[in-house]
Amino acid sequence: MENILEVHQLSKHFGKKQALNNVDFTVGKGRIVGLIGPNGAGKTTIMKAILGLFSYEKGQIKIDNHPVSEASHQALAKVGALIEYPAIYPYLTGLDHLKLNATGDATTERIDQLVKQMKMESYINRKAKNYSLGMKQKLGIALALINQPELVILDEPMNGLDPQATKDLRDVIMSQAAAGTSFLISSHILSELEKLVSEVVIIDHGEVIKQATIANLNHQENDFIMLKTSDDAAARTSLAQVGITTAEAPGLVFNQTPSATLALVIKTLVKADIDIYDVVHQGEDLEASLLSILHNEKKEA
Amino acid sequence: MTIFAVLSKAKPEWFSAKGQTTGAFNGTLFLAFFLIGVASTIVASEFQHGTIKALLYRKYYRGEIFASKVITLFLFSIVNYVLIFLYTLILKFVLFSNVALDAKVGKTTVLGQLGLDLVGSFIGIWLILALVLLIANLFKTGSAAITIGILSYFAASILQIAQSFAIEKWNWLKWNPLNMLNVGAQISDSTFKSVTKLSTPLLTTGSLVYTVIFLLIGYYIFKKRNV
Repeated sequence: MENILEVHQLSKHFGKKQALNNVDFTVGKGRIVGLIGPNGAGKTTIMKAILGLFSYEKGQIKIDNHPVSEASHQALAKVGALIEYPAIYPYLTGLDHLKLNATGDATTERIDQLVKQMKMESYINRKAKNYSLGMKQKLGIALALINQPELVILDEPMNGLDPQATKDLRDVIMSQAAAGTSFLISSHILSELEKLVSEVVIIDHGEVIKQATIANLNHQENDFIMLKTSDDAAARTSLAQVGITTAEAPGLVFNQTPSATLALVIKTLVKADIDIYDVVHQGEDLEASLLSILHNEKKEA
Repeated sequence: MTIFAVLSKAKPEWFSAKGQTTGAFNGTLFLAFFLIGVASTIVASEFQHGTIKALLYRKYYRGEIFASKVITLFLFSIVNYVLIFLYTLILKFVLFSNVALDAKVGKTTVLGQLGLDLVGSFIGIWLILALVLLIANLFKTGSAAITIGILSYFAASILQIAQSFAIEKWNWLKWNPLNMLNVGAQISDSTFKSVTKLSTPLLTTGSLVYTVIFLLIGYYIFKKRNV
């Protein structure tokens, strides 16, 4: 499969802190790839480097086989993006923004179609300073899509969107991807991301931990189980004493393996006089897989 | 401008009609403040609204984006100076038919002096605008750039005496950028040479060189900035 985006051995420092370390991943043409990881993992930094907004010390970024850097932007003609928050001038209307950014042929038709697809008709003629967070977010996404780019980079696109708007966005992304557009999307709303992406790149501490298809990822990773106890802190300590580490997540989450079974966990907690209120099997979803991978990485470290 | 023209008509003992006409009815003073505001906003508001990212991730080089802003500001300033010139003529024809455009003012005419005043003001304001663009790029805030711009506008006259003493003592100080801010005054009135210690062509060249230096530093900051 041909790649629209190739990131190879990308490294960047902020002062003494290494923000990215030999980051390597690809986005195939027409694929929707999720960029996931904990806060501060380096997702936005990677996206900004791809968009030529950051310089980097080492590595190479190619869009459709053309290099991109802070000083070389030609390949970015094929890219649309929403980074951090929508880039909006408060004194312009949504329609003004779209007209200002639309280039090429049949801009009016494209704008009309996108406004309809994103369901923005009721407020597109209002000044953007009066928009709600969700409206601004939708406009930001529309701006990323307006020039029918080959690659769309979206950083937390579901921020501030209500369930209906989230579904509308999902439909738009799916239809664009079906037409051949590639997407690189970062989001903390993993349940939503899972409905969209075919592949994920997992980042932690500026490094790519794994790039895999959703099917492979879920298949490879073990179950995660969340417990609600009378004293999570004490439970964590008791489990650590028998060699079972827990994930850094709300509640008490552990990765069930042959050596760390639910039975052993329950026995340990009962022995420690800790009450168990609930046991939730998190199943093989993206969230569980991510937690498992990050958990294993932590254990290895 | 209209207010000064009306005041000049009503109270000629306060404001001479000829002096007001050659001084474009103080239009350049207010235009300077306006252009300082525009110069700071044209850069700082992009950072303030976060729109700078959307500008920079396009196919264009950063130099092209910075140059487009400078060119826009340059054309905008020219249009405004032309408008001031035309409005000065309108006010003169409507209110001061007694002031002849070819009447003598020093070695030149009323029209010639008006031209010198506008050209001098234009060169002087661009030195300040280049500094404002630099500061707006550096601090990403409009208020700092506007403050420094307005202070610079008055700096030359506020510090004139102190600077004059300093230049008398250390001759090389005549090349400092603050002295170049007198370019407008000297183009309009060549006797200002006794203060600046530089001939008008040298002062004009120095002013243009500093303008280019400030723009180049501003461009360098813009180019190197992570957003």
